[in-house]
Amino acid sequence: MMLSFKSVSKVFGDIKALEGISFDIKDGEFVFVTGPSGSGKTTILKLILKEYIPDSGEILFKGKKLSEILSKELPYLRQKIGVVFQDMKVLPERTVRENVEVGLAVVGVYEDEWNDRVNQVLKLVGLEKRSEQFPSQLSGGELQRVSLARALVVDPILILADEPTGNLDWETTQGIMKIFEKINENGKTIIMATHHKTIYEDSSKRRIELKDGKIVKDTGSKVSSKKKEEKEMSEVKESEEKEEKEEESNIKQKEKEEKPEKKIKVRVEEV
Amino acid sequence: MNIYLKTALGYIKRSPFQALSATFVLTLTFFVTTVLAVLVYSSGNILKYFETRPQIIAFLKDEITPEQISALQNKLTSDEKIKDVRYVSKEEALSIYKTATEDNPLLSELVSPTIFPASLEFSVTNLNFAQGVIDEVRKEGIVSQVGFTASLGGEKTLQDVVTRLKNIIFYVRVGGISFVGILGISSFLTLLVIISMRINSRKTEVEILDLIGATPKFIKSPIIYEALIYSFLGVFLGWLFAYILWLYLTPNILSYFGEIPILPKGILNLSIMFVIILGSELIIGSLLALSGSLLAVSRARKTR
Repeated sequence: MMLSFKSVSKVFGDIKALEGISFDIKDGEFVFVTGPSGSGKTTILKLILKEYIPDSGEILFKGKKLSEILSKELPYLRQKIGVVFQDMKVLPERTVRENVEVGLAVVGVYEDEWNDRVNQVLKLVGLEKRSEQFPSQLSGGELQRVSLARALVVDPILILADEPTGNLDWETTQGIMKIFEKINENGKTIIMATHHKTIYEDSSKRRIELKDGKIVKDTGSKVSSKKKEEKEMSEVKESEEKEEKEEESNIKQKEKEEKPEKKIKVRVEEV
Repeated sequence: MNIYLKTALGYIKRSPFQALSATFVLTLTFFVTTVLAVLVYSSGNILKYFETRPQIIAFLKDEITPEQISALQNKLTSDEKIKDVRYVSKEEALSIYKTATEDNPLLSELVSPTIFPASLEFSVTNLNFAQGVIDEVRKEGIVSQVGFTASLGGEKTLQDVVTRLKNIIFYVRVGGISFVGILGISSFLTLLVIISMRINSRKTEVEILDLIGATPKFIKSPIIYEALIYSFLGVFLGWLFAYILWLYLTPNILSYFGEIPILPKGILNLSIMFVIILGSELIIGSLLALSGSLLAVSRARKTR
């Protein structure tokens, strides 16, 4: 299990941002968290990042209670999570490449590896030709892709996207969504907060709908059947390969054991 | 290159005027500090010189015998409070007089050795003993008069001279330290303001870094490196300018003070003194940079 919310509540003054919500998110899921403004979407994401602390309830990330994570351990939790923001939050004084490299520097990846990894993610988000440009030279969609590339470059196990298409036109939004889907197909778990109906309406992905801090609809876990089949197939393949390897090694061992006897036999015959 | 140093250099490159003003203030502070450090050293040397040179002269009566002189000389030499006892005969006194008045030969032509008294010159191991020794020597039957050589004008006793000298040096030191203190505080505040401005302008960056999992060390280190760069640059430039100034002035200063060893003898010894000053200033500069940047960071974290 990637994430579990167990009766989580969060209050800001008189406003109940979340009221005892519970849900589980499995590895590899793509979950839309939807609802109108002020329904608690961003609060959920901030609780996962431990920017906020729940007033009651418990959040488990990869089986570990977030409440047990000390503040000095917090950076290491966040390093496992890639974040994409509505306002992109790219560093204006740094080039696209440098913005992505920041993620690697934070995690402590050796500089020798930076080039390859940055090139790889920039290719994935379609910005390989814009790598030396500054944010002021990019469009909104491109900036969002930079933000996505920075989140992806550290190979996180979970990606949180807070209204990533909030400031983008429909065409650009579709482009960004395709990238997110591609990332999810590669096995990454994604939680996307959005109020764009057009994004999730036709999608078969799981949707958790919020209203006034409560879950009003949860379409349930949808690690797609195709994915399940693929997973099962790969597991079968793996086990078959394992068996084959074991057989091979058994045969080799037998041969080894038999060889000295054969040699002895030959010598006896010679004598 | 270290990632933090690289980032710090990047910040400096992006805001060159802030960097320039920080470096300028620190350069000024450490220039004055270096100059004053040498002044404090020199004033200490002047005081030591006056404290240890032969200061007391016991003028002897004309009718005394060499045995009496020898007896008094032995008595003074055996006293632990007294050192460097020297007998100056009437002839030697005349020769000293002639040397002192060589600019005006008429003054020396009219005098003969008989008018100069023979004397015993000596110094005390500690100036605090001076007045007591003078009073004791005065009581000796063969001594007509006791005088002291150091005079800054108008002092009645040797103690007055030393007290006045000590006062001057005290004011030089207190004034100097106060001035350096004020400059140090202004440097610290300038550094604090510039680093705080830098953090404020980087608020978004710090926020992003925090969210993507940067450790506090990762966020703080470039800021501390930046302050250290300003500080080291300020120390080095301030020290270099002061060193050049002292090298330029040294011949004039040495000729003005004559035999008083106001500065170390030889360029090597002078350079060693300046290297020691540089080392001390680098330590002070590092402490200034570390305290300034850490305070700015903690203030920024509180306001977040």
